[in-house]
Amino acid sequence: MGKARILAAAFAALCLAAPASAADQGVTDTEILLGEVEPLSGPPGLLGIAHNIGVKLALAEANANGGINGRKLRLIAEDDGYVSSRTIQSLRKLISVDRVFALTSLSGSGQAVASISLVEQTGIPTIVSIGPVEPLYNPPRENVFVVGQSYEEGMRKLALYLAEKHPDARWGVVTQDDDYGVALREGLEKAKAEKNFNVVFESIYARGQKDFSSEIRRARDANVDVFIAGGIISENVAMVKEMETLGMKPAVGIFWPGRVSAVLNLIGPASDGLYAVDYVEPLGSEAGKAFVELAKKYLSEDEVKHINRYTMTGYAGARVLLSAIERCGDDLTWKCVNGQLAQTKDLKTGVMAPITFEQGSRFSNQPLHIMKADYANKTFVLVDD
Amino acid sequence: MRSGYFKETIAEQIALTDSWAVRAWVIALVLALIVAPFYLNPFYLSLLTTIAITVVGALGLNVLTGWTGLISLGHVGFMLLGAYAYAIPVALHGYDPLVGLLLAGLVPALASLLVGVPSLRLTGLYLAITTLAFSFIINHLILSFDGFTRGARGIFVNRPTILGVSFQSDAAFALLCLGFAAATLLATLNLRRSRIGRAFVAIRDNDTAARVMGVNLHAYKLFAFVTSSFIIGISGALYGIFLSFVSVDGFPFVLSIQALAILIVGGLGTALGAVLGSVFIVLLPEVVNLGFGVLGGEAARAISTGAHELKSMLYGLVIILFLRFQPHGLVGLWRDLKRGWVNWPLRY
Repeated sequence: MGKARILAAAFAALCLAAPASAADQGVTDTEILLGEVEPLSGPPGLLGIAHNIGVKLALAEANANGGINGRKLRLIAEDDGYVSSRTIQSLRKLISVDRVFALTSLSGSGQAVASISLVEQTGIPTIVSIGPVEPLYNPPRENVFVVGQSYEEGMRKLALYLAEKHPDARWGVVTQDDDYGVALREGLEKAKAEKNFNVVFESIYARGQKDFSSEIRRARDANVDVFIAGGIISENVAMVKEMETLGMKPAVGIFWPGRVSAVLNLIGPASDGLYAVDYVEPLGSEAGKAFVELAKKYLSEDEVKHINRYTMTGYAGARVLLSAIERCGDDLTWKCVNGQLAQTKDLKTGVMAPITFEQGSRFSNQPLHIMKADYANKTFVLVDD
Repeated sequence: MRSGYFKETIAEQIALTDSWAVRAWVIALVLALIVAPFYLNPFYLSLLTTIAITVVGALGLNVLTGWTGLISLGHVGFMLLGAYAYAIPVALHGYDPLVGLLLAGLVPALASLLVGVPSLRLTGLYLAITTLAFSFIINHLILSFDGFTRGARGIFVNRPTILGVSFQSDAAFALLCLGFAAATLLATLNLRRSRIGRAFVAIRDNDTAARVMGVNLHAYKLFAFVTSSFIIGISGALYGIFLSFVSVDGFPFVLSIQALAILIVGGLGTALGAVLGSVFIVLLPEVVNLGFGVLGGEAARAISTGAHELKSMLYGLVIILFLRFQPHGLVGLWRDLKRGWVNWPLRY
């Protein structure tokens, strides 16, 4: 009888000690563990570090307000150096060793595409906010949510704007020989089908190329009035600097991976007036300034120095995830969070248009803005609103 | 009366080992590797798989660079060819994975003739640059013929089912890669102790003397290229399957540098060196991470945006220090340990 009582008491104690809800991995009564993979070293670190800072900011902001449903948030960031095999290893580490609850980044577009099947198999809630490319959301996957806009649509919008501003212009286009370049060319083709502008010079360069003197000279010989610099950062800098050297002054359009203030600093005064397209607010806008102020409140001085557009995408993506986690309350499971993420509607982040995932879609399809570089203030200014 | 340890036949001389202790250890290691995939968590399993794939590639490069003395920077080009030679027929056209794996070896082997023939009169840096150029040409061709290769879009590759056996699970795929690594190790070790292997080494040590002794330099150099490329192509296919996605981006040039680093750190010219080097180079970033973790989160936060750059520097520093203080690589270290074990407390 005594033994039975002891056993009953032990059983009751075990029941009391058990967690209140059957949450998935990475969740305790006091903490939610999140993870992300991105390039945090080398040249691609420019985007990876900035993105990481954005996610940190969203978490710090939530933690300062008491966490989510009483749980504090913690982030583990893994550096993949922009190498796909390391992305996959890092993801496996985060999911199976660190046992994170959700992922806030799968690194760049190439790395994300390479790791998408692994992530899909696990079912872990995943936000993609660095490289929003079509293979990541088409077909839609239950647990992968892409915040942003496709490269094709971005290029289409920029080309249509420039075609309207510069009718009868002669166009020059230089793009990269990778999936990013393919997407830009497809977007340009779509715009061309709509506006029928005249592309007189087109060139595809190998990624890593540093010298564009040949391409720019050929563009000059073709008398281009509108030039699409389809590089990322150093390539666009080299192209515009070469134009400056040759005294060329076409209307130049660049794309959002290169829409960072570092580009303006590197190009110098010749960067004034560059057109760009993006779905996040420029840092010089009211929303951008407010975002920087928010960052100053929660981040170190060193981190604030590294803010760029990817900080905003990281912040917005993390906010979407945190909002879904919050709506799940105590039922903190992957299934619930994936379900809540799918129901995200008009979520305001302050750094881009409100985020919504339409029925059955896993792509937020952010509206785009055309911007113009303001070298004096080292920022971009909206020109299409 | 015998007063020492003698080898009296050629067979004894070229035997892989004459020690029962070594055989017992090898059997134990093989058994451990067969069992390990069923007990390791997915992260350690992915490291084991990466090591196995890297061993295959490093052994392939070892045939060319370690044994024949022909420096190649085209490693990643052959890997890429192997990956596409597997992905195009299997993933795009539904061929059997065995056909894909065979093509993954054959296509790079044939392509190596294209780079091998013009390279017959080249050595050292000239050959290195030629193979480097070949690697770039392969990249361009893959991107240019996008109707055939899907260009920059890449190809999704599923885990294979071979002869009715599914390698869908991580453990099964790790065993497949370990099987390839073991088979490659045995094949290259046997090649090394054959007439062909001795000819390779003769070319490496002094090609003029080798020619005088009747070694056909052109034929053997080409054979080294073909053999090496065949093996590297297989490793490329396995790497593509491991990534589940084959694209030019997935095979950065740094893999060529890494392959050479593996041979040098492991110990140039030995199969064991290629294996040890692969283990070292694949695990080093994780060990550095672990060491960095010991410092605690506060140290990382103090240098928040530079913490990972510091890790990369440590990674490089470890390799530099290793090469400075252990120029014969890990194999040299292993030999020193064995010698020390036998002779202790004496130095010699």
